[in-house]
Amino acid sequence: MKGFIAALKAEIYVTLRSQSARIILLLPTLIILVRAIVVKLSESSQQARDALLGQAQIATEGSNAWGQLVDSFSVGLTFLTLSMLAYAAWSFANDADTGVIRHALIRRVSRPWYVVAKLVNIHLLALCTLALLSISIVIISALLWDFGPVVEDGYELISSAEIQEEVMLGLRLAILPLPAALAFGLLVSVLAQSATQAVTSALGLSLAFDVFKGVLGERAYYVYASFQPSLIDQSYLQDVSRLVRGYSDVMIDTQMLQLNEWVPIPQMALFVVIALLVVQRKSV
Amino acid sequence: MSSAVMSNALPIKVENLSKRFGEFEVLRALNLEVVDGAIHGLVGLNGAGKTTTLECLLGMQQFNAGDVRLLGYPPSQLHRSQGGVVSIFDSPSLHPQLTVRQALEHALLLCEKPVRTPAQVESLLGISQYSQFRVRTLSLGNRRRTSIAQALLGSPRLVILDEPFNGLDAGGVEDVMALIRQLNQEEGTAFLLSSHQLAYLEKICSHLSILHQGQIVVSDRVEQLFNQQSSQLQIHCDDVVRACSIVQGIPGVTIQDNSEQGVLTLELLQVDSAYINQQLVSKGIMVKQLLWKRASLNSLFHSITARENDEQVAS
Repeated sequence: MKGFIAALKAEIYVTLRSQSARIILLLPTLIILVRAIVVKLSESSQQARDALLGQAQIATEGSNAWGQLVDSFSVGLTFLTLSMLAYAAWSFANDADTGVIRHALIRRVSRPWYVVAKLVNIHLLALCTLALLSISIVIISALLWDFGPVVEDGYELISSAEIQEEVMLGLRLAILPLPAALAFGLLVSVLAQSATQAVTSALGLSLAFDVFKGVLGERAYYVYASFQPSLIDQSYLQDVSRLVRGYSDVMIDTQMLQLNEWVPIPQMALFVVIALLVVQRKSV
Repeated sequence: MSSAVMSNALPIKVENLSKRFGEFEVLRALNLEVVDGAIHGLVGLNGAGKTTTLECLLGMQQFNAGDVRLLGYPPSQLHRSQGGVVSIFDSPSLHPQLTVRQALEHALLLCEKPVRTPAQVESLLGISQYSQFRVRTLSLGNRRRTSIAQALLGSPRLVILDEPFNGLDAGGVEDVMALIRQLNQEEGTAFLLSSHQLAYLEKICSHLSILHQGQIVVSDRVEQLFNQQSSQLQIHCDDVVRACSIVQGIPGVTIQDNSEQGVLTLELLQVDSAYINQQLVSKGIMVKQLLWKRASLNSLFHSITARENDEQVAS
């Protein structure tokens, strides 16, 4: 355990001084800030054009902050997942490439604790990135739009409290696969022969699954990656995005929600166990 | 295993270590012992298996057969030696984005019992002026010094160095050798130095093992190894012809050259030069000068590896 603490401290020390960790921390937030500003500018120009055409009374559906908040989370979490996946894949393999892993293993840390320390450190970075992303999204959404219930023809379709509840559920379900994605990245890192191979393999496999999950149909729900926001997004956050805009045709698949709850964590545990077994015999 | 057992254990004990890469057998039942307080050189041709041996010792590679113990611990349990073993590899293993000081502070976090501060080891290795430089901007020599500085933060019982003199200038080599001697003498640290730079090893090693074709073919104290080798003695005297007739009868002496005026060159095998001198003087030869030419590590290495090759061809 002392070895684990030492390894974790050493990992955090390097992460705090790492340029790539800083980029990962800021990138999703910068992307959603740019996106929010572009959307707002686009809305404003649309409103100005409508005013010129005498249609100013027509409210644009994007003017409710909830929809923008959910979209921002969807985009932000997609980039967060991809960048953290790349970072996790790079981490162990890069230490093996540069040889720095040898110092730790010879001096103080057993191989399994070294991997666990890496996993914890990656999760801490993901947590910080998520916290910064969430705070930024809430602030920018509140600054540029107004939070409120969905109202149509004077009727309140969904109250703010109901929206909040759905958004929280959507976020929880979207974040649940993240630890599994990080563990998958680390597993690839442990298996790979170099950092370049690890990053390209992890991203390649993840994007390939994204492309093919439509073909797999319901079977795709037995893979954690189906539930994470992605470039071809099938996560529950997509449904929430429509729901908070007042679309009534959103069908909630309860089986999918249950699988979303139960599939990612066991898969994460499986990836970690395989990584711990592989690292015991790996040449570094 | 109790710590008492560990403190009595040899720094390195390797028995019948074998390692294959596919069909190619890199190490063949290799045996090696490094005793306490030794500066042990491991020499071998390129591809002889030096780095593979070190990597197996340090648990970086799995081996196929054999038993390896460092301070009594198997390679997979080295972290339990509480910093008793440190190693420095051929390519300096450092985070390139950290500064020299940060690299040392990082190593300090992994050091069980630090005995020196980063500033102290920087000063010891002469890299204080590079303290705020990023590792990736340093020359190979200074990266190597930083790597060695990391090792000196603690007080290890065994230091394993792979090609420690690569990339160092003459001053750097002298500094590193002085440090090795200092640690060895003051703290009793045992060293295993793997290198092909025989001239440097000759200056510093107390013990030597020659690795050839995956096996240790010779392993002993350096003086013992040289004693087993023939050496040359050049005698400047007044009567070479008479001197020749006197030394001819001495066992272990072969006349190499007597063609030069007043100079006789002999090859000696386990014969003391003082004895030759006494024999000549006692028989009335005026000896003006004795020049002793001990075999170099280089010649020793080549004669042993050539002999092994011949034996292998013969068998």
